[in-house]
Amino acid sequence: MLDERIKKITAHFNQDISAVKDTKQLEELRLKFLSRNGLVSQLFDELKNASKEEKPVLGKLLNALRNEVTEKFNLLKDHIDSLEKESVEKIDLSLPGFERTIGSKHLLIQTLNEIKSIFKGLGFSVIEGPELESDYNNFGALNFPPDHPARDMQDTFFINSDFLLRTHTSPVQIRIMEKTKPPVRAIMPGRVYRNEAISSRSYCVFHQVEGLYVDNDVTFAELKGTLVAFAHQFYGENLKYRFRPSFFPFTEPSAEMDITCFLCHGKGCKVCKHSGWLEILGCGMVDPNVFDNVNYDHEQYTGYAFGMGIERTALLKYGIDDIRVFFDNDFRFLKQF
Amino acid sequence: MKVSLNWLKEYVDLENIPVQEIVHKLTMSGLEVEDYVDENELYKDFIVGYVKEKKKHPNADKLSVCIVNTGTEDLQVICGAPNVETGQKIVFAPIGTIIPNGNFKINKAKIRGVESFGMICSEAELELSNDHSGIMVLTEEVNVGKSIVKELELNDVILEIAITPNRSDALSHIGVAKDLASIFNKEFHLPEYTLHESAKKVKELASVEIVDKINCPRYTAKVVKNITVKDSPDWLKKRLTKIGLRPINNIVDVTNFVMYELGQPLHAFDLDKLNGQKIVVKSTETETVFTTLDSKERKLPKGTLMICDSEKPVAIAGVMGGENSEINNSTKNILIESAHFNPSSIRKTSKALGLSTEASYRFERWVDPSSTLLAAERAAQLIADLGNGEIAHGSLDNYPEKIKEKEVLLRFERVYKILGFQIPKEKILQILKKLGLKIIFESENENRFLVPTFRPDLEREIDLIEEIARIFGYDNIPTISKISISLGEKIDETAFEDAIRDYSCSLGFYEMVNNPLQKEQFASLIGNKIQILNPQSLDMAFLRTSLIPSALGVVAKNINVGEKNLRLFEIGNVFNLKNEKKEIKNFEDFSENQKLIFIVTGKIQDKTWNFPEKYFDFYDLKGYINSLLIKISLDNVLNDSYYHNGDSIFDFYFTKNYEKVEIGVGGKVKKDVLKQFDIQQDVFCFEFDLSKLKKIKANSKKYLEPLKFPKSIRDFAFIFDNSVTYEEVIKFIKKSSSELLKSVNLFDLFESETLGKNKKSMAFSLEYYSEERTLTEEEIEKDFNYLIEKIKTNFSAILRGA
Ligand SMILES: [Zn+2]
Repeated sequence: MLDERIKKITAHFNQDISAVKDTKQLEELRLKFLSRNGLVSQLFDELKNASKEEKPVLGKLLNALRNEVTEKFNLLKDHIDSLEKESVEKIDLSLPGFERTIGSKHLLIQTLNEIKSIFKGLGFSVIEGPELESDYNNFGALNFPPDHPARDMQDTFFINSDFLLRTHTSPVQIRIMEKTKPPVRAIMPGRVYRNEAISSRSYCVFHQVEGLYVDNDVTFAELKGTLVAFAHQFYGENLKYRFRPSFFPFTEPSAEMDITCFLCHGKGCKVCKHSGWLEILGCGMVDPNVFDNVNYDHEQYTGYAFGMGIERTALLKYGIDDIRVFFDNDFRFLKQF
Repeated sequence: MKVSLNWLKEYVDLENIPVQEIVHKLTMSGLEVEDYVDENELYKDFIVGYVKEKKKHPNADKLSVCIVNTGTEDLQVICGAPNVETGQKIVFAPIGTIIPNGNFKINKAKIRGVESFGMICSEAELELSNDHSGIMVLTEEVNVGKSIVKELELNDVILEIAITPNRSDALSHIGVAKDLASIFNKEFHLPEYTLHESAKKVKELASVEIVDKINCPRYTAKVVKNITVKDSPDWLKKRLTKIGLRPINNIVDVTNFVMYELGQPLHAFDLDKLNGQKIVVKSTETETVFTTLDSKERKLPKGTLMICDSEKPVAIAGVMGGENSEINNSTKNILIESAHFNPSSIRKTSKALGLSTEASYRFERWVDPSSTLLAAERAAQLIADLGNGEIAHGSLDNYPEKIKEKEVLLRFERVYKILGFQIPKEKILQILKKLGLKIIFESENENRFLVPTFRPDLEREIDLIEEIARIFGYDNIPTISKISISLGEKIDETAFEDAIRDYSCSLGFYEMVNNPLQKEQFASLIGNKIQILNPQSLDMAFLRTSLIPSALGVVAKNINVGEKNLRLFEIGNVFNLKNEKKEIKNFEDFSENQKLIFIVTGKIQDKTWNFPEKYFDFYDLKGYINSLLIKISLDNVLNDSYYHNGDSIFDFYFTKNYEKVEIGVGGKVKKDVLKQFDIQQDVFCFEFDLSKLKKIKANSKKYLEPLKFPKSIRDFAFIFDNSVTYEEVIKFIKKSSSELLKSVNLFDLFESETLGKNKKSMAFSLEYYSEERTLTEEEIEKDFNYLIEKIKTNFSAILRGA
């Protein structure tokens, strides 16, 4: 008798629970089945009237019923609770997030760092030197004779007859070699000055990276190899290059390295002056006179040196047509990179 | 330097070599062709036209409607030139032609309602001269309908070559021709001429004396009599105009022609204006005033090399002639000077006068002392030919001490040692011979060479190796793909500043790069400024003494363009005299230090929908500085000093110090400093001496195990007198607590009437824990209560909420 009622109430509960949609109906369900006077409690009350033999069996059944009903009820309650909670806290996810500022390094520094990391990978140290230099370190020791037209290649800001603002990073070569014995393998980034009229193409201050390698058997072929490896890493694997003779007082033989203009792919455009080539750096084998000036034995040691301008490189890479942009520090420019 | 290919062909056979090949090979052998104009290409579409008819344009007074016959048809063409007339032969640009000047294409056009089928050209449009006053009217002989390339002989190629300072030998057509002969392995020949001299001996007409033999090693002169000064013939005018020179008269034109042919600058004196018909070469003993042929009075320093006659100076040697001996239309007899001057003497004079001429440019780079006679004779013969003159017999050639050809030894294994590649011996010898070097000693391993005097740049073995590589071709030297790296220590002196850059960016700062050259006003704000001897302008006459002025300049510029909220940093060198009265004689007399500046202004936070706006203040600046120091582990190494009274830059400021030495300083920038930059909003900045900061040893980093025991937090708030500083309280709390107190945080600070006059409330939260055990409530309470009592008595403070 009781076991039939148990079955009936189970069915009744299952039917009712399936219709429950919100907290209110849920509460009604609880009152109907699970409250102190609910249907399940009533069944437990009736257990008193059962026979001695039936009691354990029915008790078990009743417990199972209560567990099942409670479990189903709780599951549904969790579900409805979470649904209602969501609807209360439904936020506008499209509102702007709270952004934080991450600053940036100057574009010239970013370009310089790219160059640095390539040469560090090739085993070069990174060394700095002063910008206010002696005439001797900037010119004399680098084999620029006094009163020689080679000095016209670099218009100079003088402090007085013996001191000047360095016109290239090459004096750092002298400083390193005066301090260290070979082998020497370093790049020397830094700021240099030229007394040239300011225009969209030239500025009185710019940045260079100098390179120097001196050892027993350094050759022109190795210089070429190193710089080609650099150019491939920096400008791309597919470029073509060429080395052509040039003149720098502190290197001999001297060369300039050109790569195919990556704007017109060698066809010729305004930027490459219709030649299809872009000059990217100057280089050469260290002149024996320079070795003599730093007391290196020029019979035993050979070496190469190279130098490149950062501004020009960055202008080309980022399509900037006015060099002055780098020194204006317009916040709208700084934020772009 | 402009070089004409047709002219070069006089000295070396270049037939059947494409122009592009010549351009490429010259560039690849060190004579960089920066640009070139191939007339054959440039003028290929222009033809000779005939103006059959000219009528007034119905709608425009200054325009004409012409009928131009092109040989095959009659075309209507609108022309704006005042000189166009019926019956003229003219240069006609049919539709589709590219006009050189402006690089534009001729299209069919309607001009003021009348159609036009081409253009009649001026010399300027063709870039033959600057003359754009009217159209170019051709001679009768040219054939209508034919290309102007043929009819006007516009078939040259003009090369613009960049000559490096070491290659003085290439500053002439024969110089370039010699290189081409080596590159293409062709024969080179000097210009041919036959000298016709009269019976009159030159020694009876003039004399030369060199007093300053050091600065004038050789002086050669020829005399030409009874000449007629007049216009040069067309062939000569054309040679000169093609390379950008303006023809003057047959005498000046010949001297220019020979300079561009042989590289020897010449000067022609009016012989009758030379007192005593004498040339004396000497340096001035006092400062002298002299009028050059451009009618300018020039002050010559003592020691300037001059050409004089028996009484007075007549030319500044190697630079410019004098007005007093200049040739004019009535000149009859001339003396042609062809000399070799000491390069550094000419350069000194040219620099001192600020006067650089084609002559001085060449002399200061070295002019071949062996070819002065050749040049003098070549010029004399041309002048005689073109001016109906008679060349006096013989020459005045004063060459007291012959400049010897240099001997240079070349070891063949050395070529390999430098280049890393073995060029065959035969190839080496062929290259050097073609360049004019003579072998004077030969052996298996080495040769000794005699270098001609026109190559002053070849003095050492390495110079010969460069020549070999240059002519052999750099591209023919292999590029090795393996390099050797020694295993010595590698250092990066920029690593520290790069780390600073990274941290600065992560704090939201953008990096500036400023010009270290600035005006006196800015350089005077801080430190002892250093002046530039030869500045470009007053705005850039001094080196920066600090990064602050230019940073303020950047702030001002950006505010002007509407960027008012800025967070900027810069790393750069600053320069200061150590003693402002002492001039720089050595590196000890000045300092060059690397500095780092942070500068903020405007808002740190704009107002957003969920966040209030906030302006930068002193504590933001201080927070940034401390965050950076924590990151580089210097937070407990440096200590602060605070200054309320301000200095010349700051209203109030603080410094970071290391062992009592100031490492950095910054605060709120003074209003009157900001006024100099026209800045109206608050600016905070801090400048570190990075050179010093770099050298301070940071706390070494060690791993700390995460805490295994709970932390206990206690809060209290006190009412203090306003004069009590945060720093005092913090120091006292730390001093009065056991080692169980690990950190203190000020979480509230306010002043209010309710607290009493000149009182403030500070609330702290204290963190207690031990690394070894869980603390008991009792021991914390004991510590905490003790501290409360100590604060009460020490500061006469009142515990709030007690
Ligand atoms: Zn290009």
